[in-house]
Amino acid sequence: MFRTSLKSLWAYRARMTLTLMAIVLGVGLISGVYIYTDTINRGFNEIFEESFSGVDIVVRTETDFEFGEGVFISEEDFDRVTSVSGVQRAYPSLAGLGVSLLDREGEVVGVQGSPTFTASLEEGDTAGFVIDQGGRYPVGPDEVVLDREATAAAGFEIGERITLISEQLGRIEPVLVGTAGLANIDGLGSRWILFDLPTAQQALGRPGMVSGGNVYVEAGTPVEDVIASMTPLLPPNASAVSGQQAAEAQAAELQGNLGFLTTFLTVFGYIALFVGAFLIYNTFRIVVSQRTRDLALLRAIGAGKSQVMTIVLLESLFLGVIGSLIGIAFGLLIAVGLQAGLSLIGLTFPSTSLVIATRTIIVGMAAGTLVTVGSSLAPARRASRVPIMAALNEDAARPIRRSLLKRAVTGGVITAAGVGAAWLGLFGGGGLGFSAIVWVGIGVGIVFFGMFALSPLFAEPTTSLLGWILERTGVAGKLARRNAMRSPRRTAATAGAVMISITLVALASTMSGSLRATIDEVLADNIEADVIITSTNQFDPTAGFTVQLADQIRELGEVGEMTRLQIAPVRTFSVQETAAGPVENTSDHNITSIEENFALFLPPESSSGTLLPGEGEVVMEESIAADNGWTIGGEATLQFEQAGERTFTLVGTAGGPAWSGLIAVSRSAWPGLFSSPSDSQIYIQAASGVSPGDLKAAIEALPLVDELATVSVQTEEDLQSAAERGINQLLNLILALLGITVIIGMLGVTNTMALSVFERTREIGLLRAVGLDRPTTRWMVRMEAVIVSVFGCLLGVGLGILFGWAIVRSLRDIGITSFLIPWLPGSWSVSSLLGSLLFWVIATAVLGVAFASYPARRAAKLNVVEAIARL
Amino acid sequence: MTAPAPDQPNPVAAPAEGEPRPIAARAERITKVYGAGDTRVTALKEVSIAFPAGEFAAVMGPSGSGKSTLMHCMAGLDEVTGGSVWIGDQDISTLTDRQLTRMRRQRVGFIFQAFNLVPTLNAGENITLPSDLASSQPDRDWLNQVVETLGLTDRLKHRPTQLSGGQQQRVAAARALAARPDLIFADEPTGNLDSSASGELLNFLAMAVRDFGQTIVMVTHDAVAASYADRIVFLADGRIVSEMTEPTPERVLDHIKGLER
Repeated sequence: MFRTSLKSLWAYRARMTLTLMAIVLGVGLISGVYIYTDTINRGFNEIFEESFSGVDIVVRTETDFEFGEGVFISEEDFDRVTSVSGVQRAYPSLAGLGVSLLDREGEVVGVQGSPTFTASLEEGDTAGFVIDQGGRYPVGPDEVVLDREATAAAGFEIGERITLISEQLGRIEPVLVGTAGLANIDGLGSRWILFDLPTAQQALGRPGMVSGGNVYVEAGTPVEDVIASMTPLLPPNASAVSGQQAAEAQAAELQGNLGFLTTFLTVFGYIALFVGAFLIYNTFRIVVSQRTRDLALLRAIGAGKSQVMTIVLLESLFLGVIGSLIGIAFGLLIAVGLQAGLSLIGLTFPSTSLVIATRTIIVGMAAGTLVTVGSSLAPARRASRVPIMAALNEDAARPIRRSLLKRAVTGGVITAAGVGAAWLGLFGGGGLGFSAIVWVGIGVGIVFFGMFALSPLFAEPTTSLLGWILERTGVAGKLARRNAMRSPRRTAATAGAVMISITLVALASTMSGSLRATIDEVLADNIEADVIITSTNQFDPTAGFTVQLADQIRELGEVGEMTRLQIAPVRTFSVQETAAGPVENTSDHNITSIEENFALFLPPESSSGTLLPGEGEVVMEESIAADNGWTIGGEATLQFEQAGERTFTLVGTAGGPAWSGLIAVSRSAWPGLFSSPSDSQIYIQAASGVSPGDLKAAIEALPLVDELATVSVQTEEDLQSAAERGINQLLNLILALLGITVIIGMLGVTNTMALSVFERTREIGLLRAVGLDRPTTRWMVRMEAVIVSVFGCLLGVGLGILFGWAIVRSLRDIGITSFLIPWLPGSWSVSSLLGSLLFWVIATAVLGVAFASYPARRAAKLNVVEAIARL
Repeated sequence: MTAPAPDQPNPVAAPAEGEPRPIAARAERITKVYGAGDTRVTALKEVSIAFPAGEFAAVMGPSGSGKSTLMHCMAGLDEVTGGSVWIGDQDISTLTDRQLTRMRRQRVGFIFQAFNLVPTLNAGENITLPSDLASSQPDRDWLNQVVETLGLTDRLKHRPTQLSGGQQQRVAAARALAARPDLIFADEPTGNLDSSASGELLNFLAMAVRDFGQTIVMVTHDAVAASYADRIVFLADGRIVSEMTEPTPERVLDHIKGLER
């Protein structure tokens, strides 16, 4: 039996190649994602292991605030802690943000989406950064060391003076005395500026402070004992842990941050396999129906039903195993592709050799094999049940047209259930402990399957309409239309695979279009500024620049009104009374200091109370107050990184996009809460008669702007295109991944067209005899493929828009207020083309032509006499 | 019109009597070989034959005699291994596939034994298929006349599956006639029909020759069907062995018996 299986695999190798490709692509995407994420994780683990290698104890300060200024202990405290017996040597260190690196042209050197760190580096501390050959450790205020990659990126050479912009010291120009790295790891993902400790303290504005340090214990002394004797001496915001623990803690934290990316990529892998399953299922159905007569002959000469079934299942098992193996190998390529693709959009990760975990192989093999064997179960069962004589006598390859009533009922019920769930989320606010967006998600998923069941019902009218257009082009279109309409089930099953991928494409495009539209709307309606000044460090919304800048700008004749914002992290704290007792409720936000004319630039859409907080007073977005149960006139408790817990009186609330997430105090209250006085944003309106462009030019002409280098001066238009760029990058990544699933879906079109040609051999022979020439024959097949593909695309676009609408609507609370269907590209850039739905409709039509070329060629090459004579 | 070369050993090269009629199609010493080596089969051996315009000819012979191959080669469906085939004054062995297709579309009609109609097209669409393929307008009056004669007027909107076997073959005949081809090849057109349906179809074919001047070459092994023809050509082992004019079923059967003896 095994030999029979192998032989038939070989006999149907062309068809099986398509199945194999589907398995390879699906498994490849999954294992590629695993290989890639495992590789990133190992890279980071290596970094952390290297950072703490040989360190016995790490003294560290703890902060819960992601973008805070950090918390620090004094050098005296550190010295006291590390003066206990058993300590051999201890190196205090300081790290923080606030210094930027400029290249020789005066442009900021950085990694997009990642900060530039400034830290201290001391000789003798063997963990972490180590000076590379040819350099030395920095000593004194005039010497600096950069990480290897930053040096290479800027093209610096050891011995030259480089320019740094410190928020504290302004422009400084120390000599580069060396480069440093963590062992041989490349792709740190951030830039490092390294000084000796006193210089780092100056540059970061933390004289006499450290953020912790590495401690080495005398040989023979148990590390636990030293930690135990250090612990009572620690200041309250510091702790001492072993080097091993510190490395593990950092790795775990990072894995949490990378979790989103891992999940995101893995989901795409499984979507690809899901689409692949359709293709595999269709192929087995096709191959089995083509072999009906062979299998019936086997039955006639005495093969049992179970033996026929075993033959088909063995074939699928064989294909599944081979396909999965190749798929895992292909996964290596995908991993390399992901690495290149993600680094193009600015996501660089530490590079190390590719990691192929046992888990990757097991999951890849299992997923590929199970999907293949599972997809072949139904066709195998059908093969075993073929009535022997009917198969031997009749043209049993022809599909039987069954009633679609059962489909209509099942599909209708499923769709209704899904719509119900989505409705509950959208208009009922959720329930059963799930939030609105979860209900929408569940509903959307169910509707998807319902629509899939219903799709044969749409197949006839839609293909009829599409075909009607093609029919205008001549007789090939007419025949193609009739063929596509002949078997709505098959057309729908084939289109289904295309539908899945295009649904996701349309969903992504619609959501990103809506996001863009929301940003445009907010910029146009809710921000009344001609020029906005921010820090170039987009990574940190609280990053800032010296207050002198605002003073200088105010002097410019081009400036009309302006308002300054200081931004820093804060945490809301409230206690909610519930049935189960009081529950503490904390939530991270940014706090902003505002000036009196703030509302002129960022007008709220609704407000109550006053929006001018005085001493000890706070104003905030309506929803934040509501979430914490705070009312105007009542108290609101906020926690600060350094200033601790403070209680304010809530004097006003406001709503609208510009106030989204805003908690504001007066500018005069700021110095009591934060040590850094930097401004984070300045909003400026031009004096009458001055254009935004002129205003921007005037500001950029200020010597201070040049000197600070980390200041970005943008008009609304600039902001708009910057936001668009960011969204497009993410969209492009998603579309690139979805592109693979589109390809898998199109392979299904190839397959179905091959079957269609096979089934219609005699018909094609007849057409050729009565005068259908070869090119027209090819076009007949291609156009049928176009009809099927575009039908799938339209279903997908429809569903994607519907889902996009539901999801965008349920995200209204987080500020996405516009809904936009990106039918046409906004511009002629590649990303905007890819984000337009029309592009995908045209693309699937073109792909339909391309992917049908093999079956089309086969049809055109048919030997007319043999085709007619075929029974 | 090119007359057959005088040195041809062609038993039926000249018209039977009276004015020489133009030749609709002819084969000159055509040979057809399938396969190679051990599996080599010679289906036609230097066959020469001409079909004058306005003749209803039948080609008979036992299975494997080469009668279908002769038809396929003469219709431009299959390539000959040697010799040449002429449709009117056109040597079709020199044509490209595209030219051949166009030639079949415009100058040759077909009626096959079964599966004559495209199942997705209705009867009317099947009839106009060749002119649709040529993107030309069919001659409406002629079409109506053909459809009416064949009794298909109220069947035009029906799909092939909604038609009886006899009706399907009549639709095929209508399609073959619609384009007024130089000649129609009919390959066992009554093979799947009962005797009354085949009688109707054959009567119609004979009438098309008689009244419309159509040329028809019909391949059959049915003596009754063959007796409707003006002339019967007998094939055996890839050669023309004899011919008969003004046949009757009895004479044909007798002749076949004679051949087998």
